[in-house]
Amino acid sequence: MNIVENFDLFAPRLINKQELLSSGHRACSGCAEVLAVRLMCKALGENTIIASATGCMEIVSSMFPTTAWRVPWIHVAFENTAAVASGVEAGLKALRKKGKIDDRYIKVVGMAGDGGTMDIGFQALSGAMERGHDMIFVCFDNEAYMNTGIQRSSGTPMGASTTTAPAGKVSSGQKTWKKNMAEIMVAHEIPYVATVCPSYPLDFIRKIEKAKSIQGPSYIHCFSMCPTGWRSPSHTAISMGRLAVETGVFPLFEVEHGHYRISPDMPRKLRPIRQYFKPQGRFRHLKDDEIDQIQERVTLEYQKLMGKAKYL
Amino acid sequence: MVNMMIDGKKVSAPKGTMLLESIRGAGIAVPTLCAHEAISRSGACRLCVVEIKKGNRTRIVTSCLYGVEEGLIVDTKSERVLNVRRLVMELLLARCPESDVLQKMARDMGVEPQPRYAVDTDKGKCILCRSCVRVCEEVVGVSAIGLFSRGSYKEVGTPYNEKSDVCIGCGACVYVCPTGHIEMISTGDKRKIWGRTFKMQACSKCGKFFAPVDQLKFISKKTGTSMEELSVCTECR
Repeated sequence: MNIVENFDLFAPRLINKQELLSSGHRACSGCAEVLAVRLMCKALGENTIIASATGCMEIVSSMFPTTAWRVPWIHVAFENTAAVASGVEAGLKALRKKGKIDDRYIKVVGMAGDGGTMDIGFQALSGAMERGHDMIFVCFDNEAYMNTGIQRSSGTPMGASTTTAPAGKVSSGQKTWKKNMAEIMVAHEIPYVATVCPSYPLDFIRKIEKAKSIQGPSYIHCFSMCPTGWRSPSHTAISMGRLAVETGVFPLFEVEHGHYRISPDMPRKLRPIRQYFKPQGRFRHLKDDEIDQIQERVTLEYQKLMGKAKYL
Repeated sequence: MVNMMIDGKKVSAPKGTMLLESIRGAGIAVPTLCAHEAISRSGACRLCVVEIKKGNRTRIVTSCLYGVEEGLIVDTKSERVLNVRRLVMELLLARCPESDVLQKMARDMGVEPQPRYAVDTDKGKCILCRSCVRVCEEVVGVSAIGLFSRGSYKEVGTPYNEKSDVCIGCGACVYVCPTGHIEMISTGDKRKIWGRTFKMQACSKCGKFFAPVDQLKFISKKTGTSMEELSVCTECR
Protein backbone atom coordinates (compact mmCIF):
# COMPACT_ATOMS: atom_id res chain seq x y z
CA MET A 1 0.00 0.00 0.00
CA ASN A 2 1.27 3.40 -0.92
CA ILE A 3 2.09 5.22 2.27
CA VAL A 4 2.43 8.66 0.70
CA GLU A 5 -1.14 8.56 -0.51
CA ASN A 6 -2.75 8.94 2.89
CA PHE A 7 0.01 10.85 4.53
CA ASP A 8 0.47 14.39 5.71
CA LEU A 9 -2.97 15.87 6.33
CA PHE A 10 -4.64 13.30 4.05
CA ALA A 11 -4.77 16.25 1.68
CA PRO A 12 -3.31 14.43 -1.34
CA ARG A 13 -6.55 12.47 -1.37
CA LEU A 14 -8.71 15.56 -1.08
CA ILE A 15 -7.30 17.73 -3.86
CA ASN A 16 -8.87 17.95 -7.30
CA LYS A 17 -8.65 14.65 -9.16
CA GLN A 18 -9.27 16.11 -12.61
CA GLU A 19 -6.24 16.14 -14.89
CA LEU A 20 -6.59 19.21 -17.08
CA LEU A 21 -3.09 18.77 -18.45
CA SER A 22 -3.18 15.23 -19.72
CA SER A 23 -0.33 12.77 -19.69
CA GLY A 24 1.52 11.87 -22.89
CA HIS A 25 3.08 15.28 -23.47
CA ARG A 26 6.70 15.48 -24.55
CA ALA A 27 8.43 17.07 -21.57
CA CYS A 28 11.91 15.84 -20.60
CA SER A 29 12.09 13.25 -17.86
CA GLY A 30 12.35 14.93 -14.48
CA CYS A 31 10.78 18.18 -15.66
CA ALA A 32 9.45 20.07 -12.67
CA GLU A 33 7.89 22.78 -14.79
CA VAL A 34 5.30 20.45 -16.29
CA LEU A 35 4.53 19.24 -12.78
CA ALA A 36 3.97 22.83 -11.78
CA VAL A 37 1.61 23.39 -14.72
CA ARG A 38 -0.33 20.27 -13.77
CA LEU A 39 -0.70 21.46 -10.18
CA MET A 40 -1.72 24.89 -11.43
CA CYS A 41 -4.48 23.37 -13.58
CA LYS A 42 -5.67 21.28 -10.64
CA ALA A 43 -5.94 24.39 -8.51
CA LEU A 44 -7.64 26.47 -11.22
CA GLY A 45 -10.25 23.94 -12.27
CA GLU A 46 -12.24 23.74 -15.49
CA ASN A 47 -13.46 27.29 -15.83
CA THR A 48 -10.17 28.66 -17.05
CA ILE A 49 -8.72 30.07 -20.24
CA ILE A 50 -4.96 29.93 -20.58
CA ALA A 51 -2.83 32.10 -22.84
CA SER A 52 0.62 30.62 -23.12
CA ALA A 53 3.77 32.19 -24.52
CA THR A 54 6.21 30.36 -26.71
CA GLY A 55 8.46 28.19 -24.61
CA CYS A 56 8.97 24.71 -23.26
CA MET A 57 5.38 24.29 -22.14
CA GLU A 58 4.02 25.25 -25.53
CA ILE A 59 6.41 22.95 -27.40
CA VAL A 60 5.88 19.89 -25.23
CA SER A 61 2.12 20.15 -24.83
CA SER A 62 0.82 21.13 -28.23
CA MET A 63 2.83 19.45 -30.97
CA PHE A 64 0.62 19.34 -34.05
CA PRO A 65 -1.85 17.58 -34.33
CA THR A 66 -1.97 16.66 -30.67
CA THR A 67 -2.65 18.62 -27.54
CA ALA A 68 -2.33 17.86 -23.86
CA TRP A 69 -4.72 20.61 -22.77
CA ARG A 70 -8.25 19.99 -21.56
CA VAL A 71 -8.97 23.69 -21.02
CA PRO A 72 -9.19 26.42 -23.66
CA TRP A 73 -5.61 27.29 -24.46
CA ILE A 74 -4.13 29.90 -26.79
CA HIS A 75 -0.56 29.91 -27.95
CA VAL A 76 0.77 33.40 -28.52
CA ALA A 77 4.12 34.97 -29.23
CA PHE A 78 6.71 35.73 -26.58
CA GLU A 79 5.86 39.43 -26.39
CA ASN A 80 2.12 39.50 -25.93
CA THR A 81 1.02 36.80 -23.50
CA ALA A 82 -0.23 39.24 -20.91
CA ALA A 83 -1.78 41.43 -23.62
CA VAL A 84 -3.71 38.49 -25.07
CA ALA A 85 -4.80 37.33 -21.62
CA SER A 86 -6.06 40.80 -20.78
CA GLY A 87 -7.83 40.96 -24.14
CA VAL A 88 -9.54 37.65 -23.50
CA GLU A 89 -10.66 38.92 -20.12
CA ALA A 90 -12.05 42.12 -21.62
CA GLY A 91 -13.75 40.12 -24.39
CA LEU A 92 -15.41 37.77 -21.91
CA LYS A 93 -16.66 40.74 -19.95
CA ALA A 94 -18.18 42.32 -23.03
CA LEU A 95 -19.80 39.08 -24.22
CA ARG A 96 -21.22 38.43 -20.77
CA LYS A 97 -22.67 41.91 -20.65
CA LYS A 98 -24.37 41.35 -24.00
CA GLY A 99 -25.70 38.02 -22.80
CA LYS A 100 -23.95 36.05 -25.53
CA ILE A 101 -22.25 33.66 -23.12
CA ASP A 102 -23.51 32.27 -19.85
CA ASP A 103 -22.63 34.05 -16.68
CA ARG A 104 -20.26 31.59 -15.03
CA TYR A 105 -17.03 33.02 -13.72
CA ILE A 106 -14.03 32.26 -15.91
CA LYS A 107 -10.49 32.96 -14.80
CA VAL A 108 -8.04 34.06 -17.45
CA VAL A 109 -4.47 32.97 -16.93
CA GLY A 110 -1.36 34.06 -18.76
CA MET A 111 1.64 31.78 -18.49
CA ALA A 112 5.17 32.23 -19.74
CA GLY A 113 8.69 31.18 -19.00
CA ASP A 114 11.29 33.43 -17.46
CA GLY A 115 12.31 34.80 -20.86
CA GLY A 116 8.71 35.44 -21.85
CA THR A 117 8.07 37.23 -18.55
CA MET A 118 11.22 39.02 -17.52
CA ASP A 119 12.73 39.92 -20.90
CA ILE A 120 10.49 39.83 -23.93
CA GLY A 121 7.00 39.89 -22.48
CA PHE A 122 7.77 42.41 -19.78
CA GLN A 123 6.10 45.52 -21.15
CA ALA A 124 2.87 43.69 -21.98
CA LEU A 125 2.83 42.21 -18.49
CA SER A 126 3.53 45.53 -16.84
CA GLY A 127 0.72 47.11 -18.85
CA ALA A 128 -1.80 44.38 -18.06
CA MET A 129 -1.02 44.54 -14.35
CA GLU A 130 -1.25 48.32 -14.34
CA ARG A 131 -4.62 48.30 -16.11
CA GLY A 132 -5.94 46.00 -13.40
CA HIS A 133 -7.41 43.18 -15.48
CA ASP A 134 -8.99 40.32 -13.58
CA MET A 135 -6.35 37.74 -14.46
CA ILE A 136 -3.50 35.66 -13.09
CA PHE A 137 -0.06 35.73 -14.63
CA VAL A 138 2.15 32.77 -13.82
CA CYS A 139 5.86 32.88 -14.61
CA PHE A 140 7.51 29.47 -14.82
CA ASP A 141 11.07 30.40 -14.06
CA ASN A 142 13.66 27.81 -15.03
CA GLU A 143 16.39 30.42 -15.14
CA ALA A 144 17.32 30.40 -18.85
CA TYR A 145 15.84 29.97 -22.34
CA MET A 146 15.81 26.19 -21.95
CA ASN A 147 13.59 25.45 -24.94
CA THR A 148 16.00 26.90 -27.50
CA GLY A 149 19.16 25.52 -25.92
CA ILE A 150 19.97 27.09 -22.55
CA GLN A 151 20.66 30.71 -23.49
CA ARG A 152 20.96 33.18 -20.64
CA SER A 153 17.99 35.33 -19.66
CA SER A 154 17.62 38.00 -17.02
CA GLY A 155 16.36 35.23 -14.76
CA THR A 156 19.66 33.37 -14.88
CA PRO A 157 21.41 33.56 -11.52
CA MET A 158 24.93 34.91 -11.04
CA GLY A 159 27.61 32.40 -11.86
CA ALA A 160 25.48 29.94 -13.83
CA SER A 161 27.02 28.61 -17.00
CA THR A 162 24.79 28.84 -20.08
CA THR A 163 25.49 28.48 -23.79
CA THR A 164 25.59 32.26 -24.29
CA ALA A 165 27.32 32.93 -20.96
CA PRO A 166 29.66 29.96 -20.88
CA ALA A 167 32.16 29.34 -18.14
CA GLY A 168 35.75 29.00 -19.25
CA LYS A 169 39.20 30.45 -18.78
CA VAL A 170 38.09 34.07 -18.94
CA SER A 171 34.47 34.09 -17.88
CA SER A 172 32.78 32.33 -15.00
CA GLY A 173 29.27 32.13 -16.33
CA GLN A 174 26.52 34.69 -15.92
CA LYS A 175 27.90 38.05 -14.81
CA THR A 176 24.71 39.73 -13.54
CA TRP A 177 22.33 39.12 -10.67
CA LYS A 178 18.93 37.60 -11.20
CA LYS A 179 16.14 40.09 -11.78
CA ASN A 180 13.84 40.19 -8.77
CA MET A 181 10.59 39.84 -10.65
CA ALA A 182 8.30 39.35 -7.66
CA GLU A 183 9.44 42.67 -6.19
CA ILE A 184 8.84 44.44 -9.50
CA MET A 185 5.30 43.10 -9.46
CA VAL A 186 4.85 44.21 -5.84
CA ALA A 187 5.87 47.67 -7.02
CA HIS A 188 2.89 47.60 -9.42
CA GLU A 189 0.75 47.50 -6.29
CA ILE A 190 -1.44 44.65 -7.50
CA PRO A 191 -3.60 42.78 -4.98
CA TYR A 192 -1.66 39.54 -4.86
CA VAL A 193 1.91 38.44 -5.59
CA ALA A 194 3.31 35.08 -4.52
CA THR A 195 6.30 32.87 -5.13
CA VAL A 196 5.73 29.13 -5.38
CA CYS A 197 7.73 25.98 -5.99
CA PRO A 198 6.27 22.61 -7.12
CA SER A 199 8.38 20.85 -4.48
CA TYR A 200 5.81 22.21 -2.02
CA PRO A 201 2.58 21.13 -3.75
CA LEU A 202 0.09 22.01 -1.03
CA ASP A 203 1.55 25.49 -0.63
CA PHE A 204 1.48 25.79 -4.43
CA ILE A 205 -2.19 24.84 -4.72
CA ARG A 206 -3.20 27.08 -1.83
CA LYS A 207 -1.54 30.12 -3.38
CA ILE A 208 -3.03 29.54 -6.84
CA GLU A 209 -6.47 29.09 -5.27
CA LYS A 210 -6.01 32.33 -3.40
CA ALA A 211 -5.00 34.12 -6.61
CA LYS A 212 -8.07 32.66 -8.29
CA SER A 213 -10.37 33.98 -5.60
CA ILE A 214 -9.02 37.51 -5.92
CA GLN A 215 -10.81 39.94 -8.25
CA GLY A 216 -8.04 41.76 -10.03
CA PRO A 217 -4.57 41.06 -11.30
CA SER A 218 -2.31 38.66 -9.46
CA TYR A 219 1.17 37.46 -10.22
CA ILE A 220 2.62 34.07 -9.31
CA HIS A 221 6.33 33.42 -9.69
CA CYS A 222 6.99 29.71 -9.95
CA PHE A 223 10.45 28.28 -9.52
CA SER A 224 10.62 25.35 -11.94
CA MET A 225 13.68 23.19 -11.84
CA CYS A 226 15.10 22.07 -15.19
CA PRO A 227 17.45 19.08 -14.87
CA THR A 228 18.39 19.31 -18.56
CA GLY A 229 19.50 22.91 -18.45
CA TRP A 230 20.89 22.86 -14.95
CA ARG A 231 23.06 19.86 -15.78
CA SER A 232 21.82 17.72 -12.94
CA PRO A 233 20.37 14.18 -12.84
CA SER A 234 16.67 14.11 -13.63
CA HIS A 235 15.69 12.46 -10.35
CA THR A 236 16.99 15.48 -8.40
CA ALA A 237 14.39 17.98 -9.66
CA ILE A 238 12.19 17.94 -6.55
CA SER A 239 15.06 17.90 -4.07
CA MET A 240 16.69 20.77 -5.97
CA GLY A 241 13.56 22.87 -5.54
CA ARG A 242 13.59 22.15 -1.82
CA LEU A 243 17.26 23.04 -1.61
CA ALA A 244 16.63 26.33 -3.43
CA VAL A 245 13.97 27.19 -0.88
CA GLU A 246 15.90 25.96 2.14
CA THR A 247 19.09 27.80 1.18
CA GLY A 248 17.18 31.05 0.66
CA VAL A 249 18.03 31.28 -3.03
CA PHE A 250 14.30 31.25 -3.76
CA PRO A 251 12.31 32.16 -0.64
CA LEU A 252 8.59 31.35 -0.62
CA PHE A 253 6.41 34.29 0.32
CA GLU A 254 3.22 36.07 -0.61
CA VAL A 255 2.29 39.73 -0.71
CA GLU A 256 -1.36 40.55 -0.24
CA HIS A 257 -2.18 44.24 -0.70
CA GLY A 258 1.35 45.16 0.30
CA HIS A 259 1.48 42.89 3.35
CA TYR A 260 4.33 40.42 3.22
CA ARG A 261 3.97 36.93 4.63
CA ILE A 262 6.69 34.29 4.61
CA SER A 263 5.34 30.79 3.91
CA PRO A 264 5.35 28.37 6.84
CA ASP A 265 7.46 25.99 4.75
CA MET A 266 10.50 28.23 5.08
CA PRO A 267 13.06 26.86 7.55
CA ARG A 268 14.13 28.88 10.58
CA LYS A 269 17.79 28.68 9.66
CA LEU A 270 18.97 28.75 6.08
CA ARG A 271 21.30 26.09 4.73
CA PRO A 272 24.54 27.11 3.02
CA ILE A 273 24.13 27.59 -0.74
CA ARG A 274 27.04 25.23 -1.40
CA GLN A 275 24.60 22.36 -0.85
CA TYR A 276 22.38 23.78 -3.58
CA PHE A 277 25.23 24.44 -6.02
CA LYS A 278 26.92 21.08 -5.63
CA PRO A 279 24.49 18.82 -7.54
CA GLN A 280 24.28 21.24 -10.49
CA GLY A 281 26.71 21.17 -13.40
CA ARG A 282 26.03 24.80 -14.28
CA PHE A 283 27.71 25.95 -11.04
CA ARG A 284 30.53 23.39 -11.13
CA HIS A 285 33.22 25.86 -12.21
CA LEU A 286 32.63 28.31 -9.34
CA LYS A 287 35.56 28.92 -7.03
CA ASP A 288 35.21 29.21 -3.27
CA ASP A 289 35.51 33.00 -3.15
CA GLU A 290 32.86 33.35 -5.87
CA ILE A 291 30.47 31.12 -3.95
CA ASP A 292 31.11 33.15 -0.78
CA GLN A 293 30.26 36.32 -2.70
CA ILE A 294 26.97 34.83 -3.90
CA GLN A 295 26.23 33.53 -0.39
CA GLU A 296 26.69 37.03 0.98
CA ARG A 297 24.20 38.44 -1.50
CA VAL A 298 21.65 35.66 -0.92
CA THR A 299 21.83 36.21 2.85
CA LEU A 300 21.44 39.96 2.41
CA GLU A 301 18.42 39.57 0.10
CA TYR A 302 16.83 37.15 2.54
CA GLN A 303 17.37 39.49 5.46
CA LYS A 304 15.77 42.29 3.45
CA LEU A 305 12.75 40.08 2.80
CA MET A 306 12.49 39.11 6.46
CA GLY A 307 12.60 42.78 7.36
CA LYS A 308 9.73 43.50 4.98
CA ALA A 309 7.73 40.61 6.42
CA LYS A 310 8.29 42.01 9.88
CA TYR A 311 7.37 45.64 9.21
CA LEU A 312 5.03 45.58 6.21
CA MET B 1 -25.94 7.64 -21.90
CA VAL B 2 -29.08 9.61 -21.22
CA ASN B 3 -30.20 12.80 -22.97
CA MET B 4 -31.53 15.85 -21.17
CA MET B 5 -32.29 19.49 -21.76
CA ILE B 6 -30.49 21.85 -19.40
CA ASP B 7 -31.39 25.53 -19.78
CA GLY B 8 -32.33 24.86 -23.39
CA LYS B 9 -29.08 23.04 -24.17
CA LYS B 10 -29.04 19.41 -25.23
CA VAL B 11 -26.78 17.52 -22.82
CA SER B 12 -25.99 13.84 -22.62
CA ALA B 13 -24.49 12.28 -19.52
CA PRO B 14 -23.45 8.77 -18.47
CA LYS B 15 -26.02 6.84 -16.45
CA GLY B 16 -25.58 6.88 -12.72
CA THR B 17 -23.99 10.34 -12.52
CA MET B 18 -25.57 13.25 -10.70
CA LEU B 19 -27.27 16.23 -12.25
CA LEU B 20 -24.76 18.68 -10.78
CA GLU B 21 -21.89 17.30 -12.88
CA SER B 22 -23.94 17.53 -16.08
CA ILE B 23 -24.98 21.10 -15.31
CA ARG B 24 -21.43 22.19 -14.59
CA GLY B 25 -20.19 20.24 -17.60
CA ALA B 26 -22.59 22.27 -19.74
CA GLY B 27 -20.84 25.40 -18.47
CA ILE B 28 -23.55 26.60 -16.13
CA ALA B 29 -22.50 27.88 -12.74
CA VAL B 30 -24.27 26.40 -9.71
CA PRO B 31 -23.29 27.61 -6.24
CA THR B 32 -22.46 24.83 -3.80
CA LEU B 33 -20.85 24.60 -0.39
CA CYS B 34 -20.96 20.97 0.68
CA ALA B 35 -20.22 19.12 -2.60
CA HIS B 36 -16.65 17.81 -2.48
CA GLU B 37 -15.44 15.18 -4.90
CA ALA B 38 -13.48 13.20 -2.31
CA ILE B 39 -16.49 12.52 -0.10
CA SER B 40 -20.04 11.30 -0.61
CA ARG B 41 -22.85 13.78 -1.14
CA SER B 42 -25.29 14.75 1.55
CA GLY B 43 -27.26 17.59 0.00
CA ALA B 44 -26.94 19.63 3.16
CA CYS B 45 -26.33 23.18 1.96
CA ARG B 46 -29.35 23.22 -0.42
CA LEU B 47 -27.77 25.86 -2.64
CA CYS B 48 -27.54 23.60 -5.69
CA VAL B 49 -31.32 23.41 -6.14
CA VAL B 50 -32.70 23.31 -9.69
CA GLU B 51 -36.16 22.93 -11.19
CA ILE B 52 -36.81 19.71 -13.10
CA LYS B 53 -39.71 18.94 -15.38
CA LYS B 54 -40.99 15.43 -15.98
CA GLY B 55 -44.16 15.29 -18.05
CA ASN B 56 -46.33 18.17 -16.90
CA ARG B 57 -45.04 18.44 -13.36
CA THR B 58 -42.14 20.51 -12.20
CA ARG B 59 -40.39 20.31 -8.88
CA ILE B 60 -37.36 21.60 -7.05
CA VAL B 61 -34.56 19.11 -6.35
CA THR B 62 -30.98 19.29 -5.11
CA SER B 63 -28.92 18.68 -8.23
CA CYS B 64 -25.99 17.21 -6.32
CA LEU B 65 -28.09 14.23 -5.26
CA TYR B 66 -30.47 13.84 -8.18
CA GLY B 67 -29.40 11.20 -10.71
CA VAL B 68 -29.63 11.95 -14.41
CA GLU B 69 -32.70 10.70 -16.25
CA GLU B 70 -33.71 10.32 -19.87
CA GLY B 71 -35.80 13.20 -21.18
CA LEU B 72 -35.41 15.39 -18.11
CA ILE B 73 -35.91 19.11 -18.64
CA VAL B 74 -33.82 21.14 -16.19
CA ASP B 75 -34.03 24.82 -15.46
CA THR B 76 -31.25 26.25 -13.31
CA LYS B 77 -32.11 29.92 -13.56
CA SER B 78 -35.91 30.09 -13.23
CA GLU B 79 -37.43 32.59 -10.83
CA ARG B 80 -38.62 29.76 -8.58
CA VAL B 81 -35.10 28.32 -8.31
CA LEU B 82 -33.53 31.70 -7.64
CA ASN B 83 -36.11 32.41 -4.94
CA VAL B 84 -35.31 29.17 -3.15
CA ARG B 85 -31.58 29.82 -3.43
CA ARG B 86 -31.96 33.35 -2.11
CA LEU B 87 -34.01 32.14 0.84
CA VAL B 88 -31.44 29.45 1.65
CA MET B 89 -28.68 32.00 1.44
CA GLU B 90 -30.53 34.43 3.71
CA LEU B 91 -30.97 31.70 6.30
CA LEU B 92 -27.33 30.62 6.06
CA LEU B 93 -26.27 34.22 6.41
CA ALA B 94 -28.41 34.62 9.51
CA ARG B 95 -26.85 31.51 10.99
CA CYS B 96 -23.20 32.36 10.23
CA PRO B 97 -22.90 36.12 9.73
CA GLU B 98 -19.12 36.08 10.24
CA SER B 99 -18.22 33.63 7.50
CA ASP B 100 -16.43 35.49 4.71
CA VAL B 101 -17.12 32.65 2.26
CA LEU B 102 -20.86 33.07 2.79
CA GLN B 103 -20.60 36.84 2.66
CA LYS B 104 -18.83 36.70 -0.69
CA MET B 105 -21.33 34.18 -2.05
CA ALA B 106 -24.22 36.31 -0.87
CA ARG B 107 -22.72 39.37 -2.55
CA ASP B 108 -22.41 37.46 -5.81
CA MET B 109 -26.04 36.34 -5.56
CA GLY B 110 -27.24 39.78 -4.57
CA VAL B 111 -28.48 38.65 -1.16
CA GLU B 112 -28.41 40.94 1.85
CA PRO B 113 -28.86 40.03 5.54
CA GLN B 114 -32.56 40.14 6.35
CA PRO B 115 -33.74 41.87 9.52
CA ARG B 116 -36.62 39.38 9.88
CA TYR B 117 -34.23 36.58 10.83
CA ALA B 118 -32.61 36.76 14.24
CA VAL B 119 -28.86 36.48 13.86
CA ASP B 120 -27.21 33.55 15.61
CA THR B 121 -24.17 34.32 17.69
CA ASP B 122 -23.23 30.91 19.03
CA LYS B 123 -22.98 28.89 15.83
CA GLY B 124 -19.60 30.12 14.62
CA LYS B 125 -19.20 29.52 10.90
CA CYS B 126 -20.70 26.03 10.90
CA ILE B 127 -23.53 25.39 8.44
CA LEU B 128 -23.93 21.75 9.57
CA CYS B 129 -23.06 20.36 6.15
CA ARG B 130 -21.42 17.31 7.71
CA SER B 131 -18.46 17.40 5.29
CA CYS B 132 -16.00 17.07 8.17
CA VAL B 133 -17.91 14.15 9.66
CA ARG B 134 -17.95 12.34 6.34
CA VAL B 135 -14.29 12.97 5.54
CA CYS B 136 -13.34 11.64 8.98
CA GLU B 137 -15.38 8.52 8.36
CA GLU B 138 -14.80 7.87 4.67
CA VAL B 139 -11.34 9.19 3.85
CA VAL B 140 -9.49 9.04 7.16
CA GLY B 141 -11.47 6.17 8.64
CA VAL B 142 -11.58 7.09 12.32
CA SER B 143 -15.03 8.72 12.91
CA ALA B 144 -13.78 10.96 15.68
CA ILE B 145 -16.43 13.65 15.19
CA GLY B 146 -20.15 13.69 14.65
CA LEU B 147 -23.27 15.78 14.95
CA PHE B 148 -25.06 15.82 18.26
CA SER B 149 -28.07 17.42 19.95
CA ARG B 150 -31.32 18.14 18.12
CA GLY B 151 -32.95 21.02 16.32
CA SER B 152 -31.44 24.42 16.79
CA TYR B 153 -28.98 23.06 19.35
CA LYS B 154 -27.41 20.71 16.82
CA GLU B 155 -23.67 21.09 16.55
CA VAL B 156 -20.60 19.31 15.29
CA GLY B 157 -17.87 18.01 17.57
CA THR B 158 -16.33 15.14 19.40
CA PRO B 159 -18.65 13.01 21.62
CA TYR B 160 -19.79 15.03 24.69
CA ASN B 161 -17.39 17.77 23.52
CA GLU B 162 -14.63 15.98 25.35
CA LYS B 163 -11.11 15.23 24.16
CA SER B 164 -11.38 12.42 21.67
CA ASP B 165 -9.12 9.42 21.99
CA VAL B 166 -9.66 8.24 18.43
CA CYS B 167 -8.94 11.61 16.78
CA ILE B 168 -5.51 11.48 15.12
CA GLY B 169 -5.17 15.21 14.53
CA CYS B 170 -4.74 14.90 10.77
CA GLY B 171 -6.68 18.05 9.97
CA ALA B 172 -8.62 16.60 7.04
CA CYS B 173 -11.81 18.09 8.52
CA VAL B 174 -10.20 21.53 8.47
CA TYR B 175 -9.24 21.01 4.86
CA VAL B 176 -12.74 20.18 3.61
CA CYS B 177 -14.70 22.62 5.76
CA PRO B 178 -16.26 25.01 3.22
CA THR B 179 -16.68 27.92 5.60
CA GLY B 180 -13.57 27.63 7.77
CA HIS B 181 -15.38 26.81 11.00
CA ILE B 182 -12.96 24.26 12.43
CA GLU B 183 -9.89 25.68 14.12
CA MET B 184 -6.51 24.03 13.95
CA ILE B 185 -3.53 25.76 15.49
CA SER B 186 -0.09 24.37 14.71
CA THR B 187 2.79 25.84 16.68
CA GLY B 188 6.10 24.04 16.31
CA ASP B 189 5.89 20.74 18.13
CA LYS B 190 2.21 21.02 19.06
CA ARG B 191 -1.06 21.03 17.17
CA LYS B 192 -4.36 21.94 18.76
CA ILE B 193 -7.60 20.70 17.24
CA TRP B 194 -10.99 19.75 18.69
CA GLY B 195 -9.84 20.79 22.16
CA ARG B 196 -6.99 18.34 22.26
CA THR B 197 -3.29 19.09 21.92
CA PHE B 198 -1.30 16.68 19.78
CA LYS B 199 2.41 16.09 19.93
CA MET B 200 4.02 16.52 16.52
CA GLN B 201 6.61 14.14 15.17
CA ALA B 202 9.95 15.65 14.22
CA CYS B 203 11.45 14.28 11.02
CA SER B 204 14.36 12.04 11.93
CA LYS B 205 16.42 13.50 9.08
CA CYS B 206 15.69 17.24 8.85
CA GLY B 207 14.11 17.79 12.27
CA LYS B 208 11.02 19.54 10.93
CA PHE B 209 7.74 18.85 12.71
CA PHE B 210 5.50 17.42 10.05
CA ALA B 211 2.63 15.28 11.38
CA PRO B 212 1.02 14.34 14.70
CA VAL B 213 2.51 11.23 16.31
CA ASP B 214 -0.98 9.74 16.66
CA GLN B 215 -1.56 10.07 12.93
CA LEU B 216 1.66 8.22 12.15
CA LYS B 217 0.78 5.49 14.64
CA PHE B 218 -2.62 5.16 12.97
CA ILE B 219 -1.10 4.93 9.48
CA SER B 220 1.51 2.47 10.72
CA LYS B 221 -1.19 0.26 12.15
CA LYS B 222 -3.36 0.49 9.07
CA THR B 223 -0.68 -0.06 6.41
CA GLY B 224 1.80 -2.17 8.32
CA THR B 225 4.62 0.28 7.65
CA SER B 226 7.14 0.58 10.45
CA MET B 227 7.25 3.72 12.57
CA GLU B 228 10.93 4.25 11.70
CA GLU B 229 10.03 4.63 8.04
CA LEU B 230 7.14 6.94 8.83
CA SER B 231 9.15 9.23 11.08
CA VAL B 232 10.95 10.59 8.03
CA CYS B 233 8.98 13.45 6.50
CA THR B 234 7.73 13.22 2.91
CA GLU B 235 10.36 15.69 1.80
CA CYS B 236 13.33 13.69 3.08
CA ARG B 237 12.06 10.27 2.07
